[in-house]
Amino acid sequence: MHSDSNALNSITTEPGASDADSLFGKVLDLSEHGLFLVDSARKIVLWNEWMAQASSLARGDVIGRTFNEVFPELAGKRVASVIETALDMRTASLLSRSLNKSLFPLFSANGGGERKRIEQSVIVKPIQCDGRNYCLVQITDVTPMVQREEVLRVLAREAEAAQKAAEEISRFKSEFTSTVSHELRTPLTSIRGSLGLVSSGVMGELPLEVNKLVSIACNNTERLLFLINDILDIDKIESGKMDFVIGPVDLMAVLRQALEANQPYGEQYKIRYVLNQVMAGVAVRADTDRLMQVLNNLLSNAAKFSPEGAEVEINVLQNGAMIRVEVKDFGTGIPLQFQSRIFEKFSQADGSDTRKTGGTGLGLSISKAIMEKMGGGIGFETEEGKGTTFYIDICEMAPA
Amino acid sequence: MFEITDIQRDYITEILNISMGSAAAVLSEMVGEEVGLSVPEVAFLPRRVAADQFDLNNSAKMSGVTQSVSGAINGDALLMFPEEKTLTIVRILLGDTVPVESLTEMEQEAMCEIGNIILNAIVSSVANLLQKEIVSSLPRFISGTGSEIYAINTGCEDDLVMFLKVGFGLESQSINGHVTLMLNVPSLREFIAHLDEKINAL
Repeated sequence: MHSDSNALNSITTEPGASDADSLFGKVLDLSEHGLFLVDSARKIVLWNEWMAQASSLARGDVIGRTFNEVFPELAGKRVASVIETALDMRTASLLSRSLNKSLFPLFSANGGGERKRIEQSVIVKPIQCDGRNYCLVQITDVTPMVQREEVLRVLAREAEAAQKAAEEISRFKSEFTSTVSHELRTPLTSIRGSLGLVSSGVMGELPLEVNKLVSIACNNTERLLFLINDILDIDKIESGKMDFVIGPVDLMAVLRQALEANQPYGEQYKIRYVLNQVMAGVAVRADTDRLMQVLNNLLSNAAKFSPEGAEVEINVLQNGAMIRVEVKDFGTGIPLQFQSRIFEKFSQADGSDTRKTGGTGLGLSISKAIMEKMGGGIGFETEEGKGTTFYIDICEMAPA
Repeated sequence: MFEITDIQRDYITEILNISMGSAAAVLSEMVGEEVGLSVPEVAFLPRRVAADQFDLNNSAKMSGVTQSVSGAINGDALLMFPEEKTLTIVRILLGDTVPVESLTEMEQEAMCEIGNIILNAIVSSVANLLQKEIVSSLPRFISGTGSEIYAINTGCEDDLVMFLKVGFGLESQSINGHVTLMLNVPSLREFIAHLDEKINAL
């Protein structure tokens, strides 16, 4: 009565056992998805093996009955209405597992015979064949995905809790460091004052040996104070509490002041600062005190790492839209393996060298943070055995 | 530029808002809370102007749902939100808070369903207006910059699209997104012609 030229046609017109015998019927039965087809009279005309297993409804019990007869509990539910629209309006719909929990009453046999409700994701698609409208319903078992995401959820919550704990510890550490440093600074300041008075001879001439010991004590107190101030600076920067008063700054004036302040330090290392190239009257966008701090750091570093009798060259030049200040030493250069860590906290090329060169290993890290806060940058070029040029780039600004 | 009259605009806005009302009702019932949907604005714009709606540099990430339509009109329908808003919508509707910065596979599927409901409502109101059949495909989740999504620099940036602003009202917050129907020009002309027939019959 009907042509067999079309698989869908043969299935839909000869409901019952014959559809399973066709090649297409066998293919559908092998599918890992639940598949069923509803015709325009709302009758189920195809029901694959997956559906039969999961619903415990044999093909023969379902074919030819309407969707509502097979699933009376779904009457009026969204899935029933999207099947209607697929048939009437030819729109495709998706019913996600998250927004439609346990859509169809489908169960999987679970090893021990216990039947578990299948987590489903459902798509409903219109099909037209020989001028007739059908609606294909495809069900995917997303139980493994649901379980995976449950694990992900648990892991993500744990990670979040761990992160909060880590932040708490870090905050506590930083508060602790800051408090201890403040507490240390006060007595240290008075120790330095007292030692200074003793070593200057105000309290009477000291025997040579004693004077030597007192001056060692003096120098080390000084170093300790520097270290504490640097730690407090780092802490301020990290907690965002360092205040910056940004405005146009006369760069050459600040640089000359920094050179003057570092002159005695340079003499101590027997080096000479040479201001080589200048840009008269140039103004930069900076905080005067913080810029001074950075320049002091670069100038004193250059002195420390220069051979005796050498010069430290300073250049001020235009670098694109920025103004660059270069501080060039003729020291041993920075070893390659240390170059990537140079701006890290407490880093110095050679731990054993610290005693000779002094310093806290915090200076460059502080300078970098300050330059970034001022919208500038810091960097270096180095050649082992020949020397190093540290430079800072600062935004140019119209003078005040 | 493709100009439409105020009457045409009012008419489209009206029918779209009716269909959005029913989409909102479906969503509200699904999630068990009030969901508001509205189309405050309709325009016909070139693709590149549509791509600029969230960000003039087209560098901000957007995400959403697309489905293709064929039949009486041919093209793509898109529902897009700024990426972080998509996250907000899905998480509010699912009532879940996964501390993960991008949508999980299942959340993407849920977003596809939300988009599917909204886009199907719009497409069927257009089909009703034309009194012709429009077949829509399954929804697909997409994300990218405005230029990627609107296929800018592929030679079709001047093609006109029907561009709707969509307001999504959830838990006392209002999230703005947009729906774009990227139709070919004959489809657009036909659409407008049908619109005039309807208006004249009023």
